[in-house]
Amino acid sequence: MTGATIQAKNGVNGAVSAVLKSLKDSGCVDAVLVPTRVKSGETFVYLLIRNPKMLDSCAPLPPVMPVQGARALQSLTRHGKVEQTVLCVMRPCEVRASIELAKRRQVDLENVLFMSLDCPGALRTRDYVNDPEALDKRYQGILNNWEGDGLRPTCETCVHFSCEDVPVDLHVGLVGTKEEEAVIIGVSKRGEELLDKAGIECSEDVSAWQVEVEKARDKKAGNRSKVVSELKDKAAGMDNLGLLFADCINCHNCMRVCPICYCRQCFFDSSDQVRLRAEDYFAKAQARGGIRFPGDMMQFHLGRIYHMGLSCVGCGACEDGCPMDVPVSQVFAFAGDEVQKTFDYVPGRSTDEPIPTLTYEEDELHEYEDA
Amino acid sequence: MADKFEPNIVGFLCNWCSYAAADLAGSNKLEVPATLTTIRVMCSSRVDPVMLLSAYLRGADGVLVAGCHPGDCHYQTGNYLARRRFALMHKILETFGLDSNRFRLSWISASEGKRFSEVTNEFAEHITKLGPNPLRKMPFIE
Repeated sequence: MTGATIQAKNGVNGAVSAVLKSLKDSGCVDAVLVPTRVKSGETFVYLLIRNPKMLDSCAPLPPVMPVQGARALQSLTRHGKVEQTVLCVMRPCEVRASIELAKRRQVDLENVLFMSLDCPGALRTRDYVNDPEALDKRYQGILNNWEGDGLRPTCETCVHFSCEDVPVDLHVGLVGTKEEEAVIIGVSKRGEELLDKAGIECSEDVSAWQVEVEKARDKKAGNRSKVVSELKDKAAGMDNLGLLFADCINCHNCMRVCPICYCRQCFFDSSDQVRLRAEDYFAKAQARGGIRFPGDMMQFHLGRIYHMGLSCVGCGACEDGCPMDVPVSQVFAFAGDEVQKTFDYVPGRSTDEPIPTLTYEEDELHEYEDA
Repeated sequence: MADKFEPNIVGFLCNWCSYAAADLAGSNKLEVPATLTTIRVMCSSRVDPVMLLSAYLRGADGVLVAGCHPGDCHYQTGNYLARRRFALMHKILETFGLDSNRFRLSWISASEGKRFSEVTNEFAEHITKLGPNPLRKMPFIE
């Protein structure tokens, strides 16, 4: 693997926006979909940019992830393929979510290119809007040292923060590079061609960066196995599971911000949730001593784990969007790891890998059926 | 009156095989657990496992899914997909240490009335040994 060093005197965002400009100027990219700070300065949204001047103010690696990039891309390609070439600048988890959506035919990847960056994680959006300046500073520190306080718990355990197992075209390496420097790498053939056309020569050896990525991944993998083993006890049995989700107020925000949840009519919003008559509730309350309102809380969470667990990329949007700080994303990561292992499936790795529930082998899984 | 536990079992039966088998069991006067509630579905793959979960969380003691034997699906591949989905749900239940043994997937063809009676009775016996669904007594869960 080879790449090119880019100067980042004005921070990562400045360096990447210069690259984006030269890609745009070379004419091989018609538009760029990239996070940009909103005018109030408090948060970021995705902007589909055609005017190269506007790339000056883009923020390819914002400190927070209030909008999951896959959702932005989903809106863009809702009616099928786009006719112009779009370069999407996203975190690796956002690229992976886009791939999962493409498998579910909710995103069309034709004429879509991806650029990702080594991602140290994101801060909690709610913390950020309260004090953007202080958190910007903190994030800069995290970027320099590749660790620091305030990262979302999911991000601390993310092993897909670089470009391995993420089907991107271009990648910006940041881990362990010299201060004020980054490396840009053409990962796919198309990516290499793009850089070539933009006059960015990729001939430098990047093995030093790769070693650093490996080190950082080992550390995160360690965090992950620790968290998972803790959850194994904390989430064992219905009593414990009930405690984990006890604060849930059934706002279903985790579902709405999840990039993979796409159904326009959600099973959990459908009418069978309210079809029970008062007598039925009384009967149930009689049997149990009392019943919880709002109801169907456990069904919602376990059901969502069933619906999404295989495709969960661990972006943490659910937990970030939860007003009650329920550790949704961590529970998902725990269950997701298990079911993904069962089917030997890595979500978002490749569009060639079918979603396990949409395919089958004739001779398999006999341990789950009655002989 | 002695409180003998009779398990409430919800059975999702595929229209083309297992539901017909249930019918045949009836015509042949074979015994089937009286507390089996059957739900006819057009295919075992019509059953979103969330429905199984729903039955369990709402207090069913056992949940059965039955369809055509692999290779015999009326829609060619439905039961293969159902098996994957069932396995996925099973895995999730196991992961959280929940009662995955209260769920069963069986293949019963339209001509197997006897097998339908055997499978349901055997399953009811198995659930009787497990006892009632503990969730029936948990006020904060559903």
